[in-house]
Amino acid sequence: MAKYYDVIIVGAGPAGSLAALKLARAGLNVCLVERGKYPGAKNMFGGLLHNTPVLNEMLPDFWERAPLERHVYKKVLAFMTPESAVSLTFENENFEQPPYNGHTVFRPAFDSWLASEAVREGALLLTDCTAEDLVRKDGRIAGVTVKGREGKLRSNIVIAADGVLSFMAEKAGLRKEFKAKVIGVGIKLLLGLPEDTINERFHLVRDEGADISFVGTTANMRGGGFLYTNRESISVGMVVHLDSLKASGKAPYDVLDELLLHPQVRKLIKGAVPLEYSAHLIPEGGIKAMPRVYTDGMMVAGDAAGLCYTNGINLEGINLAMTSGVLAAETAIKALEVGDYTARTLSLYKKKLDESFIIKDMKTFKNAAGMMHLERLFQTYPQVLAGIMEKLYRVEGVPRSKLLRLARKEALKEVGLKGLVSDGIKIGRALL
Amino acid sequence: MNIENLQQLTQFQIDEQPHIIVNKEICKTCDHRACVQSCPANCYTWDEETKLLSIVYETCLECGTCYIICDKGALDWSYPRGGYGVCFRLT
Repeated sequence: MAKYYDVIIVGAGPAGSLAALKLARAGLNVCLVERGKYPGAKNMFGGLLHNTPVLNEMLPDFWERAPLERHVYKKVLAFMTPESAVSLTFENENFEQPPYNGHTVFRPAFDSWLASEAVREGALLLTDCTAEDLVRKDGRIAGVTVKGREGKLRSNIVIAADGVLSFMAEKAGLRKEFKAKVIGVGIKLLLGLPEDTINERFHLVRDEGADISFVGTTANMRGGGFLYTNRESISVGMVVHLDSLKASGKAPYDVLDELLLHPQVRKLIKGAVPLEYSAHLIPEGGIKAMPRVYTDGMMVAGDAAGLCYTNGINLEGINLAMTSGVLAAETAIKALEVGDYTARTLSLYKKKLDESFIIKDMKTFKNAAGMMHLERLFQTYPQVLAGIMEKLYRVEGVPRSKLLRLARKEALKEVGLKGLVSDGIKIGRALL
Repeated sequence: MNIENLQQLTQFQIDEQPHIIVNKEICKTCDHRACVQSCPANCYTWDEETKLLSIVYETCLECGTCYIICDKGALDWSYPRGGYGVCFRLT
């Protein structure tokens, strides 16, 4: 196995496969290296494939052909305490037609499909190949060595789309040291339920899906819970920052168990059959934690480049990954045209990222990563909110306060004036 | 749901070659051994009697939690050889 390619892409995830598709369509000789038995075998996410314009552009009828579960019609943000839930539900008829705002998908199915689209256009997919090291030539990166199927693969350009831990970026000297406070771990349990039961319980019809975010269900850790509806199953899980997981001394699956046993969640999953358990890391450090994304002979895309952000309301990664994959591919096409694979030419990739919604959004929410470290956001504020709602609704023959006075009293009781002001500033800087 | 049952739901292609090697001497002096509690797949066990940390790499989900939270440099961590390790069917 000693072959030469125009471009080698490490990782047949959404970033890698869309890059491969773009390059193959340009008539280039591209090799997609995947460590799983099939694309998606190692990949897991909460469950929502966001609407991604480059995907719609490259595969215009993708929602008719891709293995999708449900399009997301209903968004719920739920603040939880052990005994209550305060939810904000948004249902939108505008999310009912193409291009849908997002679909729930199974990654082994979706990633395999996306890679097969690249293969159909001429890309070579090598599964069972873990990229182990970089090959260097004339001071630049010029290929990878693989284990599983053993060998050395050479190319003019390498695109590292090898996921959050990106050993390729590390070996290229691009990665920053990982900090446990900006890496989240997501764990998820897939639960089987009949389609009709899901439709009835979540008030959905046809292919409509629901996306529920839970705040306040991660014990004393910074994080959140999630629930997504698939056609005949639901994905329930949670994400927590690794430093707070470590400090809590708790096992993540025990905390997930508490979520599953929460009175409001329990009703939703009653009678469900566990189908699969999975875990994955998420780069949550935002723009400040990004590695350098190019060097001589190599570009880094997707999670590997830390392209992911959350501001508490949006959690985006897969759409950034696919977009970055296409931008890396466009840069590779240009570099191959001019025959220069040095950092000088590949810097175009960074320029394209900067001009795209990816870096613009990550800059807009550059303070959100800091906000997500406010411990009170994850336990105290849900309690304050639930306390206000309970006092608002409870009827017990005691004189009432007006709303503002009631809210102020509850908030001051739990947080104090100093805390409220400082949290308010942080949340304001992140979101307003 | 207990963790033993959870693992049975997930498919693995087990390699005879471990992809995580623990330096047990370092673990003896570790002040937190957070890997034991934090691993989503419950792969690590600390034996108070023998003072040994052991790992069952066979049911590792390859998430990397231990790799990030171990600040003692006790883990030699890599992905399994291609084709081996966890193999998600649905997720």
